[in-house]
Amino acid sequence: MEPLTTEMILVMMMIGLAVFLFIVEWVRVDVVAIIMMVTLPLLHLVTAKEAFVGFSSNAVISIIAVIIIGAGLDKTGIINKLVTPVLRIAGNSTSRVIIAISFTVAGISSFMQNIGAAALFLPAIQRVSKTLKIPISRLLMPIGFSAILGGTMTLVGSSPLILLNDLMVPFDLKPFGLFDVAPIGIALVTSGILCFVFLGRFILPQGTSDAVEDKTGDVLEGVIEDIGKIYEVHTPDDFTHYRESITVKDLKRRYMLNVVALTEPPDFKVISPGPEVEIQSSIDLALFGSKKNVLRMAKDEGMRIKEEPEIFKNEIAESVSGTVEAVVAPRSSLAGKTLNQVNLQDRFRVTPLAVFRHNETYRAEIGDLILAVGDAVLIHGTWSRLKILQEEKSLLFTTPIDVDILRPEKAIFAAGWLAVALIMIMVFKIQLSVCLMTGALGMIITRVLNIDEAYEAVDWRTIFLLAGLIPLGIATEKTGTAAWIAHESLRLIGDVQPIVLFTVIAILSTVFTLVISNVGATVLLVPLVVNMAIGANADPRMAALIVGIATSNSFILPTHQVNALYMGPGRYRSVDFMKAGIVISLLFIIVMISMIYLFYGV
Amino acid sequence: MAIITISRGSYSMGKEVAEKVAGRLGYECISREVLLEASEYFKIPEIKLLKAIHDAPSILNRISGGKQKYIVYILSAFADRITKNNVVYHGLAGHLLLADVAHALKVRIIANFDYRVGLVEKRDNILRNEASSILKKDDHERQNWTKSLYKVDSADSSLYDLVININKLTVDHAVDFICQAATYKELEATESSLHKVKDLALAYRIKSAFLKDGFDVSVTSDYGNVLLYTKGSDRSIQKLKKIAKSLDGKIKGMNNIEIHSGLPFPTNAV
Repeated sequence: MEPLTTEMILVMMMIGLAVFLFIVEWVRVDVVAIIMMVTLPLLHLVTAKEAFVGFSSNAVISIIAVIIIGAGLDKTGIINKLVTPVLRIAGNSTSRVIIAISFTVAGISSFMQNIGAAALFLPAIQRVSKTLKIPISRLLMPIGFSAILGGTMTLVGSSPLILLNDLMVPFDLKPFGLFDVAPIGIALVTSGILCFVFLGRFILPQGTSDAVEDKTGDVLEGVIEDIGKIYEVHTPDDFTHYRESITVKDLKRRYMLNVVALTEPPDFKVISPGPEVEIQSSIDLALFGSKKNVLRMAKDEGMRIKEEPEIFKNEIAESVSGTVEAVVAPRSSLAGKTLNQVNLQDRFRVTPLAVFRHNETYRAEIGDLILAVGDAVLIHGTWSRLKILQEEKSLLFTTPIDVDILRPEKAIFAAGWLAVALIMIMVFKIQLSVCLMTGALGMIITRVLNIDEAYEAVDWRTIFLLAGLIPLGIATEKTGTAAWIAHESLRLIGDVQPIVLFTVIAILSTVFTLVISNVGATVLLVPLVVNMAIGANADPRMAALIVGIATSNSFILPTHQVNALYMGPGRYRSVDFMKAGIVISLLFIIVMISMIYLFYGV
Repeated sequence: MAIITISRGSYSMGKEVAEKVAGRLGYECISREVLLEASEYFKIPEIKLLKAIHDAPSILNRISGGKQKYIVYILSAFADRITKNNVVYHGLAGHLLLADVAHALKVRIIANFDYRVGLVEKRDNILRNEASSILKKDDHERQNWTKSLYKVDSADSSLYDLVININKLTVDHAVDFICQAATYKELEATESSLHKVKDLALAYRIKSAFLKDGFDVSVTSDYGNVLLYTKGSDRSIQKLKKIAKSLDGKIKGMNNIEIHSGLPFPTNAV
């Protein structure tokens, strides 16, 4: 047994401390990373330069660039367009949404960086959570894990697999083809997703819908639930025949439904029509209201309720319009006037839905209500219209208009710069961070998003978490701790059956990738395991492949880039990752070893 | 297709006119039936209801709301009844209740005082002076009743579509006029006027339900969307909400219910 040095012991203690702090959560995970970043140079385990090298690392810069690219793509609505057909297939069921998005993300992740796929889909997933009222914590982890698992489906899906063939060159082993790992990857993705579908309720935190936490207070939540959601209906061809005319106001009076948009022949769309606008035959209406009242109206008036918005799907998409709470400000010109007099529909093309006063909600006859300072009005409209109303300053918006206004006209630039970045990566083989930062910069220069929006898009928790753990990885390698652990582990198991050896290699890779980077773990372990496999008469290519795949088995701690990225938005704690991660990691090893046994005849 | 309300002073031949109009048009003639229905529905002895509509509420009654409660029950039964349409109603306050209903023909039958005194004298076999004072007292009470509850004078002709004086004109003439008016296009029931009657019945039904629990609230209903108006405190609002919740799904035709507190009561609230 090789002797342990003091430095090795210190590194192991620091690893132990980091894991301990991840578990007990006395401080947040990113703070744990900063503790590592500061303590390691103080203990002389890394140099001061190495301590902060993470901030200039390829991985961290790539993540920053990818987040900016993701934000740019999201701002133009491209991701939304991609997610919409996926969601149409999925419907409203949580399981189906998880399956559909997870497979999509895994598929994309198999050809690009996992973190890239995960970052690109993050805004879309947050929207899905809000729209379908599925707690974000139930979506992000399965999808994030799928992004990691998806990286095992092709040889370009993850950094360890990209490196694998290069690492095998000194041993003169036959390189792997692009899809050689596909059977294992597909099995891993499928089993991972199915695990979440069937065991999700036991292993995932049961959070609340992001819509509730992010956009509206508790009071508003109940009221919005009361007020309902948007439905699209179609009036019959004979709607205006032999009957008294029906106006927008009548639908509010009779059915408590707020018309937020309607079509006018031949093909005009009126957003937030005025109360006196007549409802014509054979037109489409977007209405805000409870299901009960919409059903009642459809029955009474012979209207057809559409399963989902068709004509107004763009106008009422959460990225374009929404509901806000606005309070009548002191010295507001609105105080003392009724909503009918203020006429928000005509002046701002927004629709007031309800008024709150002294803890009471008024939904009916709100047009005649004399507004007083402190009254809160629930208003629906497009974000751009609501912004104009906000700038008028007679109403104080308590719900921030945090949904950015989309720039669909910039979609071509956004897609173009993404393509430029991808071509640079795949064709010109330029370093990842440079390629991605070029794409991000291109988007800023072509005004897909401005520089402030780019800065705001970056989640600094993620950056510090990753940058802070990089010196720990450096210390583990530099002090020889990693090599010592690998050597000792393989020495301990001695001569065993190839399948047992492979299982041990898989476990070892999993443990390493949790603490040091997956690339570091791969670089360290591949030469060792190839030698071990040759010595044990096992297939050395398979041993290397196991390391390449198992270094993606990083689910137990939020140290993987994807997990770190999703930890903040998903409001996960380390224990949440441990709970679900242990199950998925065990499944990963079992499925991987079984597939290698069955497909590669080991 | 109309609702005809016939308001009358005592011994003004209003009842006869109502019965003959109903007979000729094939309508249902209702008056006392409303009391019976209210008595049955709200489990209140008929005599108490009868007393409530006969005597103007005393100050004590106004404070306790005793009689007012019974009147609401009666009006609730009446409003329920007229949702069926093709009805002639002769009784108290029908014209006031249906003031906003387009297809209601509001008729007032009056008669010369001497003529009425003669009728009382003959029917009760009493002296003329005695009959005269009975009639005056009765007129005064009726007038007081309407004034105290609705703040209007029942003799005000602007409350009616048609006022017929049975003097030169006979009961049959009055019946002719009313039956003719009932056929006018302007009195045809429309979708919205029918809804108005249904809403009225619903508002009274809701008001009665709250009165039963000791809460006097003003109620409007618009296509089954019920609004309760109250000046009550936060505590009483919580109680009102509780009652409102308990009514959900129990009262036919009620689609939504909402409490508005501290707001001016609309004039059409019951």
